[in-house]
This record gives sequence, structure tokens and C-alpha cells, in this order.
Amino acid sequence: MAERTGESPKRRFVSTTVEVEGRTEERVVEVPAFEPTPWDRDAKLTHVGARAPRVDALLKSTGRPGYTTDLQRARLAHVAFVRAPVARGRLTQIDWADVRAHPDVLDVLLHADVPARTRLFSPDITYVGQPLAAVCASTREAAERAVRAVGLRIDPLPHAVTVEAALHAEAVRPGLTNNLMQGAPRVSARGDVDRGLAEAAVTVTREVRTPCVLHSALEPHAAVAEWEGERLTVWESTQGIYRVRENLAKALGIPLTDVRVICEAMGGGFGAKNYAGAHTYAAALFARRLGRPVSCVIDRGGEQVDTGNRPSSWQRITLGATRDGRLTAIVLDATVPLGIGGWEGGPGEIFHELYACPNVRTHETFAFVNTAAMAAFRAPGHAEGAVGLEIAMNALAKALGMDPLLLRERNIATHDQKKDRPYTGNRLAECYREGARRIGWASREQQRAQAQRATPHRRRGFGVAAQVWSTGGGPPSYATVRLNTDGSADVLTGSQDLGTGTRTILAQVAAEALGHALARVRAVIGDTASGPYAGNSWGSMTVASLAPAVRMAAEDARRALLEAAAGLLAVTPDALETRDGRVCVRDTDRSMTFGEVTAKLGNVMIQGHGSRGPNPKDVGIVTTGAQFAEVDVDIETGVVKVLRVVAVHDAGRIVNPTLAESQLEGGILQGLGFALFEERRLDARLGLPLNVGLHDYKIPTIADLPRIDGHFLDGADPQANHVGARGIAEPAIIPTAPAIAGAVADALGVEVNELPLTPWRVLAALPS
Amino acid sequence: MLPPLVQLTVNGRPLAVAAPADATLLDLLRDTLALTGTKRACDRGECGACTVVRDGRPIYACLTLAHACTGHEIRSIESLGSADAPHALQSAFAAEDAAQCGFCTPGQLMAAAALLATNPDPSEDEVIAAMSGNLCRCGTYPKIVRAVRRAAATLRHADPAGPERAHG
Repeated sequence: MAERTGESPKRRFVSTTVEVEGRTEERVVEVPAFEPTPWDRDAKLTHVGARAPRVDALLKSTGRPGYTTDLQRARLAHVAFVRAPVARGRLTQIDWADVRAHPDVLDVLLHADVPARTRLFSPDITYVGQPLAAVCASTREAAERAVRAVGLRIDPLPHAVTVEAALHAEAVRPGLTNNLMQGAPRVSARGDVDRGLAEAAVTVTREVRTPCVLHSALEPHAAVAEWEGERLTVWESTQGIYRVRENLAKALGIPLTDVRVICEAMGGGFGAKNYAGAHTYAAALFARRLGRPVSCVIDRGGEQVDTGNRPSSWQRITLGATRDGRLTAIVLDATVPLGIGGWEGGPGEIFHELYACPNVRTHETFAFVNTAAMAAFRAPGHAEGAVGLEIAMNALAKALGMDPLLLRERNIATHDQKKDRPYTGNRLAECYREGARRIGWASREQQRAQAQRATPHRRRGFGVAAQVWSTGGGPPSYATVRLNTDGSADVLTGSQDLGTGTRTILAQVAAEALGHALARVRAVIGDTASGPYAGNSWGSMTVASLAPAVRMAAEDARRALLEAAAGLLAVTPDALETRDGRVCVRDTDRSMTFGEVTAKLGNVMIQGHGSRGPNPKDVGIVTTGAQFAEVDVDIETGVVKVLRVVAVHDAGRIVNPTLAESQLEGGILQGLGFALFEERRLDARLGLPLNVGLHDYKIPTIADLPRIDGHFLDGADPQANHVGARGIAEPAIIPTAPAIAGAVADALGVEVNELPLTPWRVLAALPS
Repeated sequence: MLPPLVQLTVNGRPLAVAAPADATLLDLLRDTLALTGTKRACDRGECGACTVVRDGRPIYACLTLAHACTGHEIRSIESLGSADAPHALQSAFAAEDAAQCGFCTPGQLMAAAALLATNPDPSEDEVIAAMSGNLCRCGTYPKIVRAVRRAAATLRHADPAGPERAHG
């Protein structure tokens, strides 16, 4: 239980360095007035760690949880975008005459009509699919018909859609001096790789390519905007209501207090829904101009073309090792075409982190090109980098004549080598052992022989890959927990539930800390008007960032409840404890339900405030794990079938194993798509995306489902935060594709080092 | 000129609804009847989020013209059950955690309902074959297979006469 003794402690605000996406920044953080004692791994917990059903599961099965795209408002108008048909050029004229005359068309927006900060509708065309103008009509069909009737006059300009072309081309967009992110390649090194390679008994070099893949959430990006006087309400399908609110206020030049953002439910994000977008601004601007609510839902073509992607990568990897398999050097040269904008996801990061090695050098060229901008996509950079690194590790194992699992076990990074500091924990060795046991790694030759006797035209293979990902989360995050007069409890916080189960997890944590029945606790999230600040649901950090704030708020409310109940039960608060919604006098049978206490209080409100404290200093917080894949490759057709994926991860305390397993399965299935099917194809001459629907762009179907055996090591990380939890969403995807690629190479005896592993690539790799 | 009428039965109710000639069944359900449980995710027959049941067979509402439904019986997710009185499939989806973001879930459920109406005891392979026209990006497929088979067992146990009645 929480400690608070002597003088009433106060919160403090201190300046400290924090890690933000791999960089360190100076930031002010709040040190809370008190922090609950950490739940260590032996803590006896009732709700936390239980397989509680997802609280909104039944609502979701009725189709009515409140998605933005389903919102109904009286006089709702609809927006569609005019998009650029060429990769680069200058828009000189738009012919609207036929469009404006149509009775269903209400309004149009051009570059001159929008605030500069929205950056909308620039006449400088820099990629295919760029919004050039918007039409608002009384029906969706009318808006879509109208944009097809618009005439465009464009002076085309030469474009570059590959890194090679961008290096030699003029600036692909205005404002650039060259086409490299931050003007130059990013080089990151420790030790001396030349010496490391000289010391190596064995070296291998591989070239690997990973495809550009698309988030493909089933609910497209969408916003509905409505003004009441100066105040704007926006419903948005988003991973960050507070960020969208800030984006809107800045872009429109209005006070934050006038902007309310709501996301009651959303149909998938995976990294693509972290900010307000063209759809948000267009909906807000039209709604203000027209004085009626406006919906902007991106159509599927626009969704696949212009809402973000995981950029492709080319990687050349050289590894050196001693005869007994200890890495002496890791070298990466990589190029990544970011699209017209973006940031350094970077395949290089994982090369510095996953394996123990004194000498590492990564050289990454991030180029801006005339295609739509990238966006974070579940483990950005790491998912791509793991493919290259793990393919090279398999090649090294082969060159050494060593079991690829043993090679990995020899090179476990026991501390954070990038920052030269310990980890709060790294149980990767246990993940390898448990995974190997579950897949039957030691008996894989027998399994292979048995399978191939039955089906001689197929080849069976096994692969292994590992992952590391920073999942400590951190401040700021806030929560309020209040008890209603009937004793039920609300958890208020400005987070949102992407489908990960945030609502359920937060209710479990609050019920645990209150000593309440889970069914009597509800998380009220997804509304900037009711919940205090919580960050974006990204970076696998929602639980680690927010659960401690919720726990603290619940502890604070519980303390107030005990103080109130003490008088009613004629004891001191320290004689009281809470259990299953009752305040009990210790060592007696006297008790009151929460509802009996709060009913006596009337509208005197019991509420608690919670904030997320700083992370511990000088220690790295990561989730690690290993995945094993078993595949069957048909050598006549080249078709790869993934039969089995075993995943074992260490993510500290698992608040809800059922939901965690669902996350794991989701990451594995997206990794399977990355390995086998998914690739945005471009016409390199025109810069035109060729597969912009879910028919030509293949995501896994239920028929592609392997047997998935997902498992988390039992434990907790009380050093990371007082709930003991780390993140899992992104760790789940990182090892899947490399494990599958390793299994395919194992099956065939030859490597296929370009993803996706399509039948034609497999057939081309086979000796004729 | 008023658009012509579509005469059809939606979730047991006979209706006559004005719809332009090019309106899809999805437009009619969502935009005219405000039955938004049926989702619009691709609007081009690629994902299955708009799956409804017409005369017992699953169809993509986005690829079906509204006027092609005259004289037909349509069942959408709104007819399956409610959070208070869920259908066995809905209870099974909840129990198995077969919905993450939940956006594809109504389509998945209607495809499953059509399957169980004709096959009360589907094998894993039969479930997979029947459900492979419904995409999920969150990765609920393992849970969907289990949920459909669990619901089938519940319905067989509860209703020996067959699941057609239970589904209706």
C-alpha cells in the first residue's frame, strides 16, 4: 500500500533528460506527491493478471461501439479530395465550373482558402495522391462524383521515386537543399569495426531488401467536425486525442480550450493515426464555413496511397565472429526512401541493441522521394532491421557450422550497449529456451524427415529470430478516479482504445488498487473534455505510461474512502482495508460496502488524482523475446505455408494474459503478411502506386493462419514502474518475418533475401 | 423525380425504401436506414466488413445493388442479438476475445451466422473456408476460429432441432 507519512508531501517539477524515440531530450517532469509501493513479482493480486473479458467485447459484437465513420448527425455534409495524378509538377489551374453548379455541392476548398499551418492543397505537387483541393457536398456520392468531374492543368516536372534517383535529382520538394534527411547519411558507431573484422575468424556479407508495406486498418482515417459558436468538436479515428486537439488548435489558430476531440472507438491504427491530417482540417474548415457538421472519411484508395507506410529498405550487412561464434563486428549499410516526408524509423537501431558486440557501425541513407510520406508502422525500423540482421545471423551460423539458435544464445546482450547501462531485466535466454522447447527445436531434423516422406514435393524448415524494443513508457500521464454515490467507480483519463484493450486494462488496475469489484469500475476515455492528459497510444507504452497513473489515482481515492469510512465505522483509517467493494475493519467481521459509505456522503465526492512519475535513471527498459517458425515450401509452385509460430516474450507483468495474447497474435499475423505477401508496388517510371486496394495489396486472410503458440514469461518488472508492466504490441511483430525467412532458407537450402517471399521469388531462388 | 422504391425485408421488417438506381445495399442500410452496424471499410468488395445475409447466404452489401434486393430478405448485424441478449456467436466472440478493434467484427459474425445456418458442426477447415472472405487487420483469426466452433457447439447443445431457428 501507498506510503505517505509525516508532513503532507507535495508534487515537484524537475528538469531531467528523457529518452524520446532513441534520442535524449531535456524535459520537465513531474515527481508525484507519492508513489505507491511497487507490485513485485510475488504481489498477491486479484484483478491484475486475470483473464478478464474485454469490457466492450459484446458491444463490439453488435457493431455499435461508436466509430467515427458511423457517426450520424443532422445535416451531415461529406468531403472528398481531389488528388494529384502525377508524382511532381505545378498545378496551374483547376476547372470547377461543372462541379460548383451541381446542386448537391456545397463548397470547395483550395490552397488560398486554408490557413497556412494546415499545409493543405499546395500547388507544388510532390507525389501521386497528394490532396490538391476538397469538395464538400450534401451526400458522400455527390462529393465523390464532384472530384471526378474536376479538371486539372498541371505542368509536370521530373520526379525521383528511388533513393538512387533522389541522390542525383534536384530537390523533390520545395525547401530542401538536397534530398537526404537532415542533409546527410546517419552514421552511428561504437568500437572499431575494422579491428573487429580483422579479428574475426569468419565473416559473412548479405544484401537484403524489405518492401514498402501499408497499415491497411479496416476503418479508414476519418473525422467529423461540428462548431458551436467558437467551439469545435471533432470526432476522430485516432491514436491520440490530445495530439489531434493540439494539432487542430495550432493549425486553426484557436485556443485549446475551444477544441474538444472525441474517439469513442476506432477501427485500427498501427501507427498511421497519430496526428490530425488533411481529413481533420478539411472537416473542421468546411464545418465552420458551412455552419453544419461535416464528415471526411478517406476512401480506400486514398487510405492505401496517402495515410502512411512502412518504407522499403535495402540493407547490406557484414558480420564477423570468432570460431566459437562470438560476434566481433556488425556493419550495416542501408538506404531507405522515406517518401516526401517522414523521420528516421531506421533499420540501424536494432543492430546496436540485439546482440552483444563491441564493434558496431551503421550507415543509413534516408532519402526524400516523390511518393507519399511514411508513418510509424508497428516497430518502425526494428521490424525492417531485424530482417537484415537475422538473415545475416543465419548465414553466419551456416558459415560457422553452428546451430543458429546456439549462435544467438552465445551473443545475448546482457546490458544496454548503446547507453552502456544495465537493463531492468533481460530474460531473452529464457525466451529462447522456452520457445525451443515448444517448437521442438532439438528434434527438428526428425520432424523434417517425417514430413518430407509424406509430401516429397514440399520442404519443411524451421527458423528462429529475436527482438528487443524499448517499452518503458514514461511521463506525463494523468488519471482521476472517482467514486459515484452508488459506490461504482469511474477512471477518467485522456487515452483511447485502439482495440488493444486499454479500457479493460485500466479498469483492472483501478479495481485492484481500490479493492473493488471489476464490474463496478469503468474507464471513461477517448474525450479531451473529460479525461486529463494521456499520451498517444504508440510505442507500446500505454500500459507502462498510464497504468501507474491510474493505480496512483485509485490509491489516492481509496485513501480518501478509508478516511471517510473511518468515522462511520468509529475506527481509525489504518484499521481499515478494502476487499471486493467493501471497506472492512481488520480482524473483525464489520464492514460496509463502498456504496454504503458513498451513500452516506451524498455528493461529497471521493476522488483521487494520479500522475506518472519519472522512469528510473541510468537503466534501460526493454521487452525482449524470441519467435520460432515452422514452414512448408512447395518446390513446384513456390508457395510458402507457415504452419506454426511459437512466440515467447518477456514483457514484465502481464495485466491481462488474454488481451496480451491477442496483441501477440496480431503482431505475428502482420509480420506474416510482411514476410509473405505485402508489398506496395510502384511504377518506377511514373511514381504511380499500382496496388491501392485490399485485393491487389494482400494482407493475410484467415486461410493463411498458422498455429500460433504465444507465451509470456511469468514475472514483473517493479524497477521499471510500480505496476511492473512493459509493452508488447510492437515487440510482437519484430521477429516474425525474419523467423519465417530463416525457416524458408532452412527448408530450401538456399536463401531468399528479398521480402515478401512470393512464389516467384522462391522459384527463382531454387537451383534449376 | 423521386427515386424508385426497393421493396425488401430487413431484419424481419418489410420495407419500401426510395433508392437511386446506383445505390448499393450498403448505402441503403447505412445511409437511409441508419443501420451502421454494417461497416464500410473498402466499398469495393475486398474486405468483407459489409457482409450481410441475403436469403440465408452471406453477401457483400457494398457490391450488391439495392434494387437487386427487391423481394429478398436481408439480415444485418442488428438482427443477430444485442449486448443484453446476445446471440451465441456474439457471446462466443466475446468469450474468446475475437474482436480487437471490432471494426470487421459485424461482417465476421454475419459470415459465421450464415455458415452455422447450413452447417451446425463445421470443422476448423470449414470455418476457415467460410470466413476467408472477411479480412481482419488486428489479427483475431485464431480467436475467430475458436469462437465460431464454440458457438456451434453451444447452438447444437441448446437447440437440437438445428441452428436455423436459433439464428432466425
